[in-house]
Amino acid sequence: MPLRPARIGRVGVVRAPVAKAAVVGAAVASPGPSPIVKTAVVAAAVTPGRRRRI
Amino acid sequence: MPAEDLSELGPVDFYVIEFPAGEANFTGEMAEELVKLVDAGIIRVIDVLILTKDADGEIDAMELSDVPDLGALVAIEGQLAELLAADDVVNLAAAMDPGSVAGVLVYENLWAAPFASAARRAGGQLIANGRIPIQAIIASLEADGALETEGA
Repeated sequence: MPLRPARIGRVGVVRAPVAKAAVVGAAVASPGPSPIVKTAVVAAAVTPGRRRRI
Repeated sequence: MPAEDLSELGPVDFYVIEFPAGEANFTGEMAEELVKLVDAGIIRVIDVLILTKDADGEIDAMELSDVPDLGALVAIEGQLAELLAADDVVNLAAAMDPGSVAGVLVYENLWAAPFASAARRAGGQLIANGRIPIQAIIASLEADGALETEGA
């Protein structure tokens, strides 16, 4: 299907080829604790009240 | 767009959502959720394209208006600004695997606009932004866990 004429010859806004992002589903399926445990751990990590250790 | 309007513009982001070959399962749920975000004033959809990349890497782009049954997206289609240029298609499709279909969504974060405008008026300027991948959070937590185990 052709693009609309207005898109042809115009300066683009995406300046460089986009790299594929890591797929979240793949991380959850990675070795280690079960996906459910990992999900719970990540949720806890971004819960208000967690303090960083420096 | 006048300069005063530009200063009120929220951050503009894009998503490329890939559907690997044979894994697409369109039920209309995505469209409904997108419309909810628009109706709630959280985002404004600026542009949408549907890209396909065949097994040989050839790219094709389709306008949202060319989709046969738009369903809930009809309301959005009429408001698109068509920001993306033909040159953008190649750059966006670089992330796609051969044999896949992807939806490209360009949107303004309306929820962030008032804060961004206030930051500009306060003399601030955005010098960096980004997303922390879930994988990075998992890795950090696992490293934390390993440290605690070693320290015990």
